[in-house]
Amino acid sequence: MIVANDLHRWYGRNHAVRGVSLEVPPGQILGLLGPNGAGKSTTIRMLAGVLTPDRGSITIQGVDARRRPTLARTNIGYLPESAALYTEMSVLGMLRHHASLHGLSGDDRRKAVARAMERCRLPAERGRSRLGSLSKGYRQRAALAAAIVHDPPVLILDEPTNGLDPTQLREARSLIGELAQDRTVIVCSHVLSEIERICQRVVIIAGGRVLADDPLDSLRTPAGCIAEVLLDPEACRGLLEGAQAVFEPLEAGWTRLTLDHAPEADVPARHWLAHRLRGREIRELRDRRGGLEDHFVRVLDKLEADA
Amino acid sequence: MTASFRAIRVIAVREFAALFRLPIGWLIVAVFQLLIGLIFALTVLTPEAPATMRPVFGVAMLIVILVAPAVAMRLISEEARAGTLEVVLSAPVRSWELALGKYLAGMALAGCMLLPMLIHAWLLRTVSEPKPDWGPIAAGMLSLAMLGSVCVALGLLASAMTESQTLAFLGTVLTLTAWVLATTIGPAYVPERFAGALAAASPGRRIDDFARGVIDLRHIVFFTAFTAWLVFAAGVAIERRRWR
Repeated sequence: MIVANDLHRWYGRNHAVRGVSLEVPPGQILGLLGPNGAGKSTTIRMLAGVLTPDRGSITIQGVDARRRPTLARTNIGYLPESAALYTEMSVLGMLRHHASLHGLSGDDRRKAVARAMERCRLPAERGRSRLGSLSKGYRQRAALAAAIVHDPPVLILDEPTNGLDPTQLREARSLIGELAQDRTVIVCSHVLSEIERICQRVVIIAGGRVLADDPLDSLRTPAGCIAEVLLDPEACRGLLEGAQAVFEPLEAGWTRLTLDHAPEADVPARHWLAHRLRGREIRELRDRRGGLEDHFVRVLDKLEADA
Repeated sequence: MTASFRAIRVIAVREFAALFRLPIGWLIVAVFQLLIGLIFALTVLTPEAPATMRPVFGVAMLIVILVAPAVAMRLISEEARAGTLEVVLSAPVRSWELALGKYLAGMALAGCMLLPMLIHAWLLRTVSEPKPDWGPIAAGMLSLAMLGSVCVALGLLASAMTESQTLAFLGTVLTLTAWVLATTIGPAYVPERFAGALAAASPGRRIDDFARGVIDLRHIVFFTAFTAWLVFAAGVAIERRRWR
């Protein structure tokens, strides 16, 4: 469990993070999204204990990270964006080193290293390989194994699928899903489709603020509908009076209608539109699926409009 | 074993091993031994030369001032450049433990540089008559270790302040040169009341005492306290990374 409350961070005069608050329970995978310079990397680094917030508090597994930073950090596994590795070390050597940094020794350390390698699907014969000689996919797995070697309850992953090929991507997704079963996982990524596939909840940060915090399932529900009808836009506007709709003229007198929602809250948009267009020639009428990308764009557009 | 001691040991062992997994560790030791061997052969191992290691220690001091920063320049800045420092900072390791572990790794490499000099001392004792005393030799070795300790600690501080190894190296060498010059030539150019304090901060005079075979506790305390202060400052510089 990780709880961040009213986090602020300045870089000189630049107020990079402005009051970010999050609460992520065990078993949940939270996706952190935002445009470049939004403050998500700073937020991630504060949560991982690499940076200290100028204001606000972070509690990790009930431990106040400001008062007892070292103890709080025992609960964190962190994979930075660059999958930073000691390239001159072997896979086994690096995993042993990370386990030792977290206080493991002897048999406990040996078991922890074997478990991390197994979970990250690192074959035993790769153990002696120098990290610098491994492929990108194996390096990413090794970095992830280093992040989980001490079995942390909170896992913070910055761009965990960076540079992986499609097969490796699928493996990484399934691995993160497995790891999240008994852990709190925060994933930061630029790739919306990855967040959509991996996470259960998504937080959008821009301008250092949390702009949206939604369960991903709610974004997958139908969001409005689309119809193509043989009418000119003006006639459509008259028919749909009272509704928030967009009219796009198509070829040969056809118009595409996009409706966000019906004016009556309890009526599905598609039913309402079908009723209004009764007797007209309709060639398409379907629900509009509100994906993460739509949501992301809408949230950022709203921010721009408000500004 | 306390958690702090374990963290320091883990960091020191990894860093020391890394120095020898890369060419830099071997290169530094080899260059130092080559230079010391040449000085030994040209100034000590000659007929009629007095049976003393003093000329070697004098030159070794200058080489240490150049070579120790090369040992220390990568200690933190390389981790910052490679991004591994982020992972270490997210681990339950305090900044001072990281600084001390890195310093000990640097000193272990300095030890690998200096200890083979005992072979030269043994050779001198074997071939010369009368045989040199071990006292001045031990004092000379101690003086180099003390100077090396300050140089490594200063290099560590510079390395904690920048991600550029070149900057860390140059910063350390220039600071050491300024320190030696200011405390050697400086006293002649400053008012008398400051001259004494400046001369007291001179590493050269203390090294000279060691080279004569005088092991003065004040000199040991001077170098040890200076080293401790620099390692502490390096710890603060690492901690500042969490704040900047």
